[in-house]
Amino acid sequence: MTESVIGPALQYEVEQFLYREAALLDDRRFGEWLALIADDIHYWMPIRRTVTVENLRLEYARSDGMAYFDDDRNDLRMRVEKLQSNSAWSENPPSRTRHIVSNVRILEVKGDEIAVEAAIHLYRSRLNDKIDNWIGKRRDRLRRADGGFRIFERHIFLDQTVVLSTNFSSIF
Amino acid sequence: MPDHVQLDPAAIDATAVRIPDVSNGLIDRSVYTDPALYRLELQRIFARAWNFMCHETQIPNAGDYFTSYIGEDQVIVVRGEDGAVRVLLNTCRHRGNALCRAELGNTRTFVCSYHGWTYGLDGKLIGIPGKADFYRNRIDQAEWGLAPAAKVEHYKGFYFATLDPEAPSLFDYLGDVGRVGIESMLNYGEVVALDGVQKNVIDCNWKIAVDNLFDWYHVKVSHNSASRIGFLNQAAMMPMTQMVMLGELGHAIGGPMVTREEQARIDALSDDERIAIDRLPDAERLKVTPTLRRPLRSSETKAAMGPVGVRATGHPNIFPNLWISTRGMQMSLRLPRGPSRTEIWWFTVMPKSFTPEQRRAAKKFITHSFGPAGLLEQDDGENWSQSTMASQGVVSRRYPHNMQMALGQDEVAADPTGQKAIETRVNEHAQRWTYRCWAEWLRARDWPELLATRSPSPTGRV
Repeated sequence: MTESVIGPALQYEVEQFLYREAALLDDRRFGEWLALIADDIHYWMPIRRTVTVENLRLEYARSDGMAYFDDDRNDLRMRVEKLQSNSAWSENPPSRTRHIVSNVRILEVKGDEIAVEAAIHLYRSRLNDKIDNWIGKRRDRLRRADGGFRIFERHIFLDQTVVLSTNFSSIF
Repeated sequence: MPDHVQLDPAAIDATAVRIPDVSNGLIDRSVYTDPALYRLELQRIFARAWNFMCHETQIPNAGDYFTSYIGEDQVIVVRGEDGAVRVLLNTCRHRGNALCRAELGNTRTFVCSYHGWTYGLDGKLIGIPGKADFYRNRIDQAEWGLAPAAKVEHYKGFYFATLDPEAPSLFDYLGDVGRVGIESMLNYGEVVALDGVQKNVIDCNWKIAVDNLFDWYHVKVSHNSASRIGFLNQAAMMPMTQMVMLGELGHAIGGPMVTREEQARIDALSDDERIAIDRLPDAERLKVTPTLRRPLRSSETKAAMGPVGVRATGHPNIFPNLWISTRGMQMSLRLPRGPSRTEIWWFTVMPKSFTPEQRRAAKKFITHSFGPAGLLEQDDGENWSQSTMASQGVVSRRYPHNMQMALGQDEVAADPTGQKAIETRVNEHAQRWTYRCWAEWLRARDWPELLATRSPSPTGRV
């Protein structure tokens, strides 16, 4: 096990990992992407809502309530296989995506586990005239494995409340 | 309702709107694209119908509110200090400003952010800044409260509102078919709404999203990828054993059924045995259950749903736009946002008696079926959107949609109790019924005329 210390070397290593991971998704190398996902992954996007300042405690639906994504590894495996099939009609013809990952901050290092937060911009160009821009923050937890990282937690907090899109057929 | 808040059915020249004849199952494409027809729908369907607002457990305490829509009219659903649920138009009586810009919350008053007019939870205008100094007290404060819905009623905790004072009671409006639909959510007794309503926007006509809920023909093709990855069990879709119930005013249920033989085997089980079977994981359950469909309905539910209704395990739609879905644990609203734009909302309710494990398994199934990320719904939205958009070309729109499957080929059978159903294979009866009633709503100038001219629930050959 490698001991990690928060510093420029780890920052560089984590950033390069996140960029590589983003490129795998954008290049439709979904199988290789899935290999970066740990068996105990929790992939979750809660429902966010427009609320007043006085009611900010209600901004996110409770964790025992409903969510947009609440996936384990098998669920992500199904999403990947769906993207790879030719009869997932929301992705045939395939969308063009670009995952922009920025503002990467390492929050915590505990043994071989690293908590990292980043701003993300997922751009989707679909058919000839459909554009989606999903912007938000991602909180990931990475674990060192096989000389690299595996993602064992990905929580996605979008800045939209009502989702202004036909669907979420992309992976965040 | 004060005199000056009267509904105005003549706000558009309804006589100039061409309402297509849809009785033969050929659907003129103007139904999905014509802005004048759409305006007429807002007037004569949404402003007249009972519209679903929310479940009582979403707003349990005084001051809890949830904002919703009746057609394109924004409303605030709020529980008052007296415990009563009211539905108020979300527009300040002064300059029309939207009072409440949040989706939900708790408050003691609604204060307009423009000039500060302040309303109580009951909609009464309780404060006008500068009433003495600027209005010189020449304003009748009691006259300028928030406009309320004409009627607010609930059926077993599910709240609905209508803006039309001439509407029948909610109970009568729902009729047997609508009530069977709601009863399907109450199989294990009282339910609680899960926190979080999924909301997304699809570029489609709202009716394309509605008629799809009866459509068991699309499953094999539209959801092919969900079957291939092992999510969807095609056998459970049972295209050759289907039941349709058609209710007056446009309510309907369509989809798979429990056969008479299966029902007899369910009836032979005690309620405790049924509950025990439903608590088993899918693979274990399959070995012992009398029917694939979940849940096994209790004897009490059978009494509430009737001997025919209890076997209808397809999808109920409460006209115009409330789909009761996902094993009786979800409701989806298809909210109109223009002729070619629809907001899809998903509410989730679960029995209070569910074990944590049942709740976890149900939540997982629900999250992966529907909502914008659902393995099923992902592919629906794009089909609806493309069906709407590709129907708009000036020449394309000359060709009607075909909704004629099984037209004139099935029989409505009546049970001795009076419940009626068609037992058949995959069909488009419920879709045709929805559009036939839709046209009747649009032709009728008011509730008395609608009640006098609506089709009775069909009997005999359909």
